[in-house]
Amino acid sequence: MPVPTGHYVALAAVIFFIGVLGVIVRRNPLIMLMSIELMLNAGNLLLVAFARAWLQNAGQIFAFIVITVAAAEAAIGLAIIVTTFRPARFVDVDDVRSLHG
Amino acid sequence: MVAFWMLATILIVSAVWTVVAAKPVYSVVALLLNFAALAVVYLTLSAEFLAVIQIIVYSGAILVLFVFVIALLSSGVAPFATGPNRLPKIWMPAAAVVLAALGFLISAIAHAPPATAPASGPVGSQGVFGSIADFGKALFTVQLLPFEVTALVLMVAVIGVITLGGEQMREAGPRAQAATDRRMREAILREGKG
Amino acid sequence: MGSVAYPLVVALWLLPLAGAVLCWAFGPRLRSACGWLAAGLVGVSFLLAVASWGSATQNLGGVLGAHQPLVSWMPGFDFGLLLDPLSLIWTFIITGVGFLIVFYSIGYMDGDRAFARFFAYMSFFMFAMLTLVLSDNFVGLLVGWGLVGLASYFLIGFWFERRSAVAAARKAFVINVVGDVGMMFAIFLIVANVHSIGFGDVFAAAPGLSDKLVFAICLALFIGAAAKSAQVPLHTWLPDAMEGPTPVSALIHAATMVTAGVYLVARCAPLWNHSGSAQLLVATIGGVTALGGAILGTAQWDIKRILAYSTMSQIGYMIMGVGVGAYEGGVAHFFTHAFFKAQLFLGAGLVIHALHNEQDIRAMGGLWRRMPFAFWVMLTGVLSICGVPGFSGFFSKDAVIYGALQHGHPWIYAVDIVTAGITAYYMFRMLFVAFLGEYRGEAAPDRAGRESEHGTHAPGWVMNVPVAVLVVPSVAVGGALMFGGDNSPWSRFFAPLYGTPSSRAIAVPPISEGVTSLVVFLTVIAGFAIAWQRYASRGAQADAPARLRRETERMPAVLTNLFYVDWVIERLIVRPAQRLGELFGRVVDPHVLDGAVRDLVFWARWLGTLVRSFQTGLVRAYALILVAGAACFVVYYAVAAGLR
Repeated sequence: MPVPTGHYVALAAVIFFIGVLGVIVRRNPLIMLMSIELMLNAGNLLLVAFARAWLQNAGQIFAFIVITVAAAEAAIGLAIIVTTFRPARFVDVDDVRSLHG
Repeated sequence: MVAFWMLATILIVSAVWTVVAAKPVYSVVALLLNFAALAVVYLTLSAEFLAVIQIIVYSGAILVLFVFVIALLSSGVAPFATGPNRLPKIWMPAAAVVLAALGFLISAIAHAPPATAPASGPVGSQGVFGSIADFGKALFTVQLLPFEVTALVLMVAVIGVITLGGEQMREAGPRAQAATDRRMREAILREGKG
Repeated sequence: MGSVAYPLVVALWLLPLAGAVLCWAFGPRLRSACGWLAAGLVGVSFLLAVASWGSATQNLGGVLGAHQPLVSWMPGFDFGLLLDPLSLIWTFIITGVGFLIVFYSIGYMDGDRAFARFFAYMSFFMFAMLTLVLSDNFVGLLVGWGLVGLASYFLIGFWFERRSAVAAARKAFVINVVGDVGMMFAIFLIVANVHSIGFGDVFAAAPGLSDKLVFAICLALFIGAAAKSAQVPLHTWLPDAMEGPTPVSALIHAATMVTAGVYLVARCAPLWNHSGSAQLLVATIGGVTALGGAILGTAQWDIKRILAYSTMSQIGYMIMGVGVGAYEGGVAHFFTHAFFKAQLFLGAGLVIHALHNEQDIRAMGGLWRRMPFAFWVMLTGVLSICGVPGFSGFFSKDAVIYGALQHGHPWIYAVDIVTAGITAYYMFRMLFVAFLGEYRGEAAPDRAGRESEHGTHAPGWVMNVPVAVLVVPSVAVGGALMFGGDNSPWSRFFAPLYGTPSSRAIAVPPISEGVTSLVVFLTVIAGFAIAWQRYASRGAQADAPARLRRETERMPAVLTNLFYVDWVIERLIVRPAQRLGELFGRVVDPHVLDGAVRDLVFWARWLGTLVRSFQTGLVRAYALILVAGAACFVVYYAVAAGLR
């Protein structure tokens, strides 16, 4: 019995919101970055599920591109984290607030 | 169907674990579990190539990069302790709005018309849809432009990382290097005492 | 238009401006060459004016004079220059007498710190005045009008270290602006009803306008003329304007500025011809000014102020002349007055310069022995201004006085004759007190021809030559040009513009011109006799210092207070304006205007604080707000879907 597409959508929504809460609640930049990866994967799941639903491989290709971009984003994000937090006492994004108004 | 529910459970639990883990290393482990389960989900959706890519790129490359960074930052004095929480009080109503939105979303999905079963057709490794041959042909013909643009994005990322790292290299003269060495020694000594 | 283009007039118009710009820009480098430069350019301008004689008096295709279009704005708003007999006369005086005054200034201003600035201002003044008289439309006229006011402000306040000079300059400027506003309203009326600003169009349309409208236009124009020409009640700036250097007084009074009102009325003669009440108004104001100025002149001790009141009085004559309709008479008096008044002022300048800025005639006396040249210059000037037969002033004044009778204004005729007598009295009074008797000054007088630290020193040839040149026209020009009634060269010169005097006369006078001359001469003799008896006779000379002191003490208050005009203006206009200003400063400004601004600032700051609180600098807070916004969209679509 095939799984209805709606189930995948609900699952992706739940994972996405877990990622959102991770970004908001956690103060460790590494875990925040990982939460962002969770959100990206939730999006990928949707793309693949709908690709399957309509038998169109464009969704899969887009998911592939998202994976690539996620890799790039992770590399840049980690580089920024290293640059920013190596001289700091705490690894805490709340300490980085030079944009404070 | 049973497989979906099992995988869904694993996905949600590992995701929650990723977010609530006390140390980043645990998060990495949980995320590894999450990605692996997701690769299996991709397989059930007949996205074979993506499943493989998911394992190779995410588990093999990105997560390893995370581990490296954790190791790099752990060499500092007080690696993952945090300062006072500065998030203003508005997070309570904001979280309420977010949760309400989530509730709406789930209820909307639950009340969606049930006739959303996937279309039937030739799928699988030997069939047309989702096979590596099909995927590759599409990637290098119809979707060539996005593919090339992605390559460009990757190159920009590489240049950016080199620039960021290069700045640090310049800053880190012999004196800074010596200071880092001293800090590392002190940390090791303290670990030994503890 | 049927006239030929005449670019030469542009050159003669712009040359003084070039002088002003050069003196202003290169003044520090040119130093003393500035004066020669400015004088030279004005002189060339004068020669060009002479060369333009033929073009200015030509009559081509029904258009009199040379017309040079400059800028076309929109239909009816063409700007250009017009050189016709009337503006030619003014151009002669502005550039000719102006040249002599600038030349004289080279000597007078020698050693002044702001030598170059002075000549820049003088040149600019002449440029402004030429703009005024050469413009062929009302707007250009108003531009020149305003520029003249500005230039006079510069020149009167030339010695801006003196508070009194600054106050006088400000007063002159403010009163002039009152006149400018009057003229502006006149132009509004003209444009609204004629849809054109060109003199030709407006004058051609004048017969079609209603009497009331023409009167309103004339009234508004005359407010401008009265302010510029120091007519009652806007005359109070003129005596104060003596704060400027003496050549400035000569230029402003004799050659240019104050006669602008006369020019305006003479130029707009077609308008005045259509409104008898406007003519009566102008003539009456002129008469009051002539008489009032003359009476006040009798009570002054400052040599320049005496001349200032005499100017006011003589301008009154001119205004009367053009007011009653004797245009060429008024203009003739302007013409001769320019010469003898410039001569008087420059002569007074010789005395003041020699006595180190002493201007009080009570501190002079006996100067005719030490400065014979100045004495003779002043004497001829006084004889001319009094209208002694044979001198220029006689002919022009006679034309004005007799013109009043010819145009049916016997009262003004009477006022004219009385004023002539008073004029003789106070002018000879000045001459006798300053030049006869014994020297009463504190500075020890010096022998003529040698300079010394104290006392008199005789001016150099640079100052004497222009004065000597001026003596010639102030004695002879009247007899040469204005003798012979309708057939005089002067009347024939203006005939294309106004027609002959007798052709326009509306009344056949019961008294002939010869009898009028005799009556005027007798009153002049009377004035002279009184002045002689009081100041020059043997008895008066005996105890001159005591007599002068006694006269100072017994001077009627109404005269020392100048008829209380300043007092009334102060009470009626200045004080209420100040009160209003104080009210605004105390109530409206802090509580209404500042209050509004403060409220604005308060709310802007409040808004800023509000928005600022979102800029926490915390990445997580930004993420939270982002997600909240996205959630709002989700809720919106969910609700919208549910409703549907």
